[in-house]
Amino acid sequence: MDNSKEITRVLFENFQPQAIHLFYAIGYLAIAVFIYGVYVQIRKYRRGKPDGSWTELFKRFVEMVKTMATHRTLVRRDKSAGRAHGLIFLGFVLLFIGTATITLEYDILEPLFGIKFWYGNFYLLFSLVLDLAGLGLIVGLIYMMYRRKWLHLPKLDYKRVDRQEGDPDFDRSQYRREDWAFLWSFILIGITGFILEATRLVWLNDRPAVWDYRMWSPVGALLAHIMQALGMTSESAGAFRPYLWWFHGLLSLTFIACIPYTKIKHIFTAAASLMFKDPLAGRRLPKVPDDQKTAGYKTITDLTWKNLLHLDACTKCGRCQEACPANAVGAPLSPRDVILSLREFANHALSAKELPKEAELDIHGKDVGQVFMETLWSCRTCLACVEICPVAVEHVPIIVQMRRNLVEAGEMEPLLEKTLQTIHKTGNSFGESKRKRANWTKELPFEIKDARAEPVDVLWFVGDYASFDPRNQKVTQSFAKLMHHAGVNFGLLFESELNAGNDVRRVGEEGLYELLASSNIGTLQACDFASIVTTDPHSFNTIRNEYPDFGGKFEIEHYTTLVKRLIETGQVKLKKKLDYRVTFHDPCHLGRYNKGFDAPREVIKLLGCELVEMGRNRDNSFCCGAGGGRIWIPDPVGIEKPSANRMKEAGQIEGLQVFVVSCPKDLTMFEDALKTSGFEGQFVVRELIELIDECIEYEVWEDSAVTA
Amino acid sequence: MKILVAVKQVAALDEDFEIRADEKDVDEDFLLYDLNEWDDFSLEEAMKIKEAGTTEVEVVVVSVGPDRVDESLRKCLAKGADRAIRVWDDSIEGSDAIAIGRILAAIAKKEAPDMIFAGVQSSDQAYASTGISTAAYLNWPHAAVVADLQYQPGNKSAVVRRELEGGLLQEVEINCPAVLTIQLGINKPRYASLRGIKQAAAKPIEEVTLADIGLSGSDVGVGNSMSHVRRMYIPAKGRAEMIEGTIAEQAAKLIQIMNEFKGV
Repeated sequence: MDNSKEITRVLFENFQPQAIHLFYAIGYLAIAVFIYGVYVQIRKYRRGKPDGSWTELFKRFVEMVKTMATHRTLVRRDKSAGRAHGLIFLGFVLLFIGTATITLEYDILEPLFGIKFWYGNFYLLFSLVLDLAGLGLIVGLIYMMYRRKWLHLPKLDYKRVDRQEGDPDFDRSQYRREDWAFLWSFILIGITGFILEATRLVWLNDRPAVWDYRMWSPVGALLAHIMQALGMTSESAGAFRPYLWWFHGLLSLTFIACIPYTKIKHIFTAAASLMFKDPLAGRRLPKVPDDQKTAGYKTITDLTWKNLLHLDACTKCGRCQEACPANAVGAPLSPRDVILSLREFANHALSAKELPKEAELDIHGKDVGQVFMETLWSCRTCLACVEICPVAVEHVPIIVQMRRNLVEAGEMEPLLEKTLQTIHKTGNSFGESKRKRANWTKELPFEIKDARAEPVDVLWFVGDYASFDPRNQKVTQSFAKLMHHAGVNFGLLFESELNAGNDVRRVGEEGLYELLASSNIGTLQACDFASIVTTDPHSFNTIRNEYPDFGGKFEIEHYTTLVKRLIETGQVKLKKKLDYRVTFHDPCHLGRYNKGFDAPREVIKLLGCELVEMGRNRDNSFCCGAGGGRIWIPDPVGIEKPSANRMKEAGQIEGLQVFVVSCPKDLTMFEDALKTSGFEGQFVVRELIELIDECIEYEVWEDSAVTA
Repeated sequence: MKILVAVKQVAALDEDFEIRADEKDVDEDFLLYDLNEWDDFSLEEAMKIKEAGTTEVEVVVVSVGPDRVDESLRKCLAKGADRAIRVWDDSIEGSDAIAIGRILAAIAKKEAPDMIFAGVQSSDQAYASTGISTAAYLNWPHAAVVADLQYQPGNKSAVVRRELEGGLLQEVEINCPAVLTIQLGINKPRYASLRGIKQAAAKPIEEVTLADIGLSGSDVGVGNSMSHVRRMYIPAKGRAEMIEGTIAEQAAKLIQIMNEFKGV
């Protein structure tokens, strides 16, 4: 290396002053176009409702930088694309820093203070790093082009499940064109950059300060040698260079000017979206302010600025669509399409200087950019889309907000309407008398304490399915025996317990949810207990994450963690080991919603079972189809149910004996699906409690003997 | 233009109910109250006319009953009714459908509506005569079991289709004002969201006493009704019995049962 001031790069050598002025003029114009575009975007976001995410900005910023630097969300379930994006990202960032460094010296420090640093060793290192960055950028882009052209990934197909062929927004071909224009212009900037570098080397090959250090730009040097071998001389290189220089320069400036108007804006919107990510998105749905007249989202301006920002962050990667259980069975829902429709709507309606009339802002309907009611009702709020989104788009809260509006307008399945009325009247979705909630206790050989009358350590919130469904009642009784056997001091709320409201809220009946939640909170607060346990992941989620918003802060755990502890401390003694080959289905509300992946698996292993995972497990678990109130809405005939889809997946496990669940609704859904999908007799569906029960009392439920 | 919709809060039986000590009704502890199902449809029919928007239409719901009825009236307000009126006085307790009709007619005289809708019947008492008796006291035409209505606000008459037995429909032209009792299925009643019901709490429910409508205790109640409940009971079950044995034994057993029944 050599720290001589000679060693640097020529910038405007041999340029007429007019040409330099012209270049600067175009540069300023590009920046002006860019700034105007940013202004229009920000004006659009400001037309949304307020959102209180402006807290802990520093922490948020650090998290965002970590996510972006590690690309941790991008490599999930698509390693190659994530890595290729990493190359492009890194290349772009380094090249940007490089250009900014030159600007810093040439346009600021040198003219103002006469300071120069872009020479010698620093320049050589700079040159090497940027060459490698450019190479990475091009390699990444080539992979992306290959992926789009030859991999035929279903998630990159923009054809819509909720529209018909011939509808104006059916295949969204303008997105495809934009994708390719983006890839081509970006890769051309990279390629012309290298050729420009090589041309400069050939042109200046008689200057030792340039030519002798050419290997610090390895890609450029390699190209320079090739060009020389092809017969390029210093003169011809010098003559060719200005054309290339202008092409490269204008393309780059156009690229910059285009950022706010095209998909390139994701550089900013995705970063901002990650920064304002809500870690409890979907797990804790937003409250409706008391003074708000109507519930939910009817018009595009009902969305918050944060929602609008999320819409713009979407890069159409399709991971959400791939994870969506409704989409997997052909329901007219793709989470991506919901986001894109709303984004198109927002861009159309909110980008103009004047806001259109109220009537033109309605996001519900059948027109371009509007979202179908059937689409919204197809969602099972399983959170698979929110969980996998690499840029923190929060689909489910938006869908539920839109449903709230549908519920207020009564635009729902008659059966769902009936169920909501039933829950309002009786406090449970079964339409049973409140008095019968604890009827399952009558067959037990011991009395369960009334937590309303005496203090207990553990308050057991049973939930509707575990209380009223005859099949689940058996599991509920087993769990009561287990707790009794372990000497846990526990009690129930008996007829004072109401439906916890988790699914009512996800349906969008916020008023009913408020009623149920505040009633349960009042009841719970009047009791003396240390913590709550439930076998129902749905109740678990809403009590844990949502009741605090209504003043109910309680310690709560799902039974799987409690049982694991009881076994480990020896309070529950396993007198038998099971040798079943089992698989475990993560309930959405336990797994994805609350990260309860490990406890059930550890219990399964403590029981001695051999656990074989299905392909879709843990955070990628596949919803049984019951969430978001869909258990109260009949699935259309003729199309596959998500539960049947899941059974097929389990059926691929050789020698599978037991399909283990740990959620009452899962038990109902999968026992049904087992019968209809043709695996009956091959394996059985069991609640984890039932397996534990076998080990405690040497007793197998007579009507459900596992065929080992 | 005003439509008066007469509604009732009905009682539904909880499982394992008990009869009250005086044997006149079910013990209130075992009753769940809700708006009568037919009234959902008659209110919806009024709302449809209101929302057709050709003329300004005021929908007023009225009910006769104690405080608890407010809950059902709020549901009607949540669905879009403009006003709600509740008539009550302790002396009204025990009134039959005819006496309730007298009260509703008095309200109608005060409110002067252009139409009165009521449900065909109530799901708890099922007399199917409250609407009709209201028409009688007002001396207005009436049509019962209306399954379809064609009516323009301000028109002098309406065309209704009445549901008859055997799947028959009868199309009737009726002069207005009139009382129509609305049948289930005439429309699709809207859902009253809980938020809507909560917000409807802000709309006042007008409480009306008998004196306000020119009636007194001597017009209502058990004493002034043409019918009253003597007893409510669950009929005994399992009265059939197979008599076995030889012919002679069967005959002897039969005679024994007949004697027991006669109380000999």
